[in-house]
Amino acid sequence: MLRALPVRTGRRRTVVLAAAVLAAVLLVVVLVTGWPGGGRSSDTTTVDGNASAVLYSAGHRPAAPAFGGTTLTGSKLSFSSYRGRVVVLNFWGSWCVPCREEASTLAAVAAKYQPSGVSFLGVDVRDTTASAQAFVNKFHVGYPSVGDSSSVITADFSDVVPIAGTPTTLVIDRTGHIAGAVFGTVTYSDLTAILAKVTAKGG
Amino acid sequence: MTDIRAPETDPFDPAAERDDPPRPGPGSPGAGTFGLTDWLKWAWRQLTSMRIALILLFLLALASVPGSILPQQGNDAPGVQQYYTSHPDLAPWLNRLGLFNVFAAPWFAAIYLLLFASLVGCVVPRTFRLAGSARTLPPRAPRNLSRLPRSAEYVTTLPPADAAQVAARVLSGHGFRLRRPAASEGADEASEGRQWVSAEKGYLREAGNLLFHLALLGVLVSVALGGLFGYKADRLLVQGQTFADTASALDEFHPGRFVTDANLARFTMTLDKFTATYISSGEQAGQPSSFDAKVTYTGSAGSPARTADLDVNRPVAVDGAKVYLIGHGYAPVFKVTDASGHVVYNQATPFVAGAAGNFLSEGVVKVPDAQPDQLGFTGVFVPTAVNVSGTLESVFPAADNPVVSLIAYAGNLGENSGASQSVYQMDTTGMKRLTTRPQVLTPGQSLKLPGGRGTITFTGYVPWVSLAITHDPGQLPALICGMAALGGLLLSFMIRRRRVFVRASAGQQGAGQQGAGQDGTTVQVGGLARTDASGGFEAEFAALAAELRSAHERAAPAAQPVQPQPEGE
Repeated sequence: MLRALPVRTGRRRTVVLAAAVLAAVLLVVVLVTGWPGGGRSSDTTTVDGNASAVLYSAGHRPAAPAFGGTTLTGSKLSFSSYRGRVVVLNFWGSWCVPCREEASTLAAVAAKYQPSGVSFLGVDVRDTTASAQAFVNKFHVGYPSVGDSSSVITADFSDVVPIAGTPTTLVIDRTGHIAGAVFGTVTYSDLTAILAKVTAKGG
Repeated sequence: MTDIRAPETDPFDPAAERDDPPRPGPGSPGAGTFGLTDWLKWAWRQLTSMRIALILLFLLALASVPGSILPQQGNDAPGVQQYYTSHPDLAPWLNRLGLFNVFAAPWFAAIYLLLFASLVGCVVPRTFRLAGSARTLPPRAPRNLSRLPRSAEYVTTLPPADAAQVAARVLSGHGFRLRRPAASEGADEASEGRQWVSAEKGYLREAGNLLFHLALLGVLVSVALGGLFGYKADRLLVQGQTFADTASALDEFHPGRFVTDANLARFTMTLDKFTATYISSGEQAGQPSSFDAKVTYTGSAGSPARTADLDVNRPVAVDGAKVYLIGHGYAPVFKVTDASGHVVYNQATPFVAGAAGNFLSEGVVKVPDAQPDQLGFTGVFVPTAVNVSGTLESVFPAADNPVVSLIAYAGNLGENSGASQSVYQMDTTGMKRLTTRPQVLTPGQSLKLPGGRGTITFTGYVPWVSLAITHDPGQLPALICGMAALGGLLLSFMIRRRRVFVRASAGQQGAGQQGAGQDGTTVQVGGLARTDASGGFEAEFAALAAELRSAHERAAPAAQPVQPQPEGE
């Protein structure tokens, strides 16, 4: 009728308990502060060791969500019409200081790759047409931008790639999958390295 | 062995702080043979002691003080910059100590984690002790029941075994947990003609105590859950604007460890209209009387658009997140044309109310892409402007007579240097002031900039609201655990653990009783309630003793006279 409790000696119990609690605390520390070295998914490789520029390996490229909208000049644009082409998709805003820095880089890369069939497209985030158009005029941006003042397009892309803010530049392959990304200001070498891979035949 | 466990554990109050007994010799540091394991054990005992837990709690409170005195990197980065300029010698040292980012500093984490370990290490063993105590049977009946705080004695004609049986039935009927002599151990006593019953009640006290401790652990886990899987974010939304709940659309975003952008609640929200009404007369004039932010929101894809009225403390819940209205203000609308005649700026610009009161608000307009030079304006928005001896003052928070006062600058906004800037501040070091005195504009008025640099028009104003978006999966568990902890605490306070013992011995041999014959049975009843701080057990015991006696009377053959021998206090 009476089940005797297993009686452990006080000392052993203290040691076991201490070990258990320390293990739990260690677990919490690791969870809160992160694994040492971070855990980028093995689906991607970095470009030139730059952690903010990544290439998605074939078969692990997330599909780019469909989107459309009104360009700064007022015409309708649908992303589906870009299917079959390599697209450089740049998330920017006229209020975004690093976007000013990378504007000339993007223009240079566009000048090099547009003739070989690569399309460039901007997503103008949290902006107004007047300010965005002034930016485009000043930096001679030669490709269209879709307005995303509500960040809805950005939110859709955030479901598949970790867009923390502007600028973010995605390279989308001919099948409509995201093949590469630069989180933050693009450099000429990073973007051209990604484009060289993606535009190579079969890429 | 069926007896209760370690006698040093007080069976009545197992939760009582029981520090390990001091050990002789190597029990404390300083003695000769104090090895590493002894040190570790000593440290563990110290860590899990109540004293250290209290010290850690105090340290945690103390450590948060600089976080509220000094500007913090997380929520006031410009303030930190300001501090660096005003205290160039001190600031680097404070930074080395992590005082500009207290809550992320390693020493702060150390205190927090030590406290966590201390609490867990303190609560877990107590939980085991309580669980053990809640399952133990009452101890064997003491030999001399008349020494207990409450006792009674009477004689019955029932044989001892029957008397004990009857007593057991009565006590069992009152919800007592019983213990009778086991077959082996009762044999010798029974042969002496002695039978006993131990009964204990009030185990719910231990259950309550157990519930309290488990719930306390639950609260800790819930808080951790919220910290790991929850997030907090802020967004300023101008009337007419829409935002999607994604990291890049949020002004402030503090995600938990396991929150990625893909985990955010999926919704878009539009501020359709914001109205604030104010008391217009009397002593309370200018105090807000109501807020109403009419919003339209759409949850995850495919769900229909809904509308809601947000008010302070009346959030809207969408896709697991809660959206609170936490502030509001005015956003004057400006249209700027540059020297070339292009409209280079046309938008509502949120201004932030300052200390002057009545929503006298300040803000800046930055036009980085104006030609030939960048333009900038610092402005003040005055909702109900009155000219008090040459100075504009706001006399009411509603926009009854709105004006803006602007100072125009041209030159380099300093943005191309790469450093991010606050949208509410402007670095004028690289700029030339275009207007000597602030220029006052009413809605619709324009200011022509000198040198043909263009014009700025104050076209109107719209309100903005500041929204807090929070998701805390630990909130509900923490609430439930908190309530359970309170319930457990109440149980353990209100319920007394009490014991009643009954001994039936052949013969009349009670205290003061001269042996009047060997044919009767003496029934002794004793009781104690260790935690009877508020009294009440006396009456319960008296009633119980009386009931036992009458039960024995009823069970006894009617012819036998009964001589009650109550022995009160």
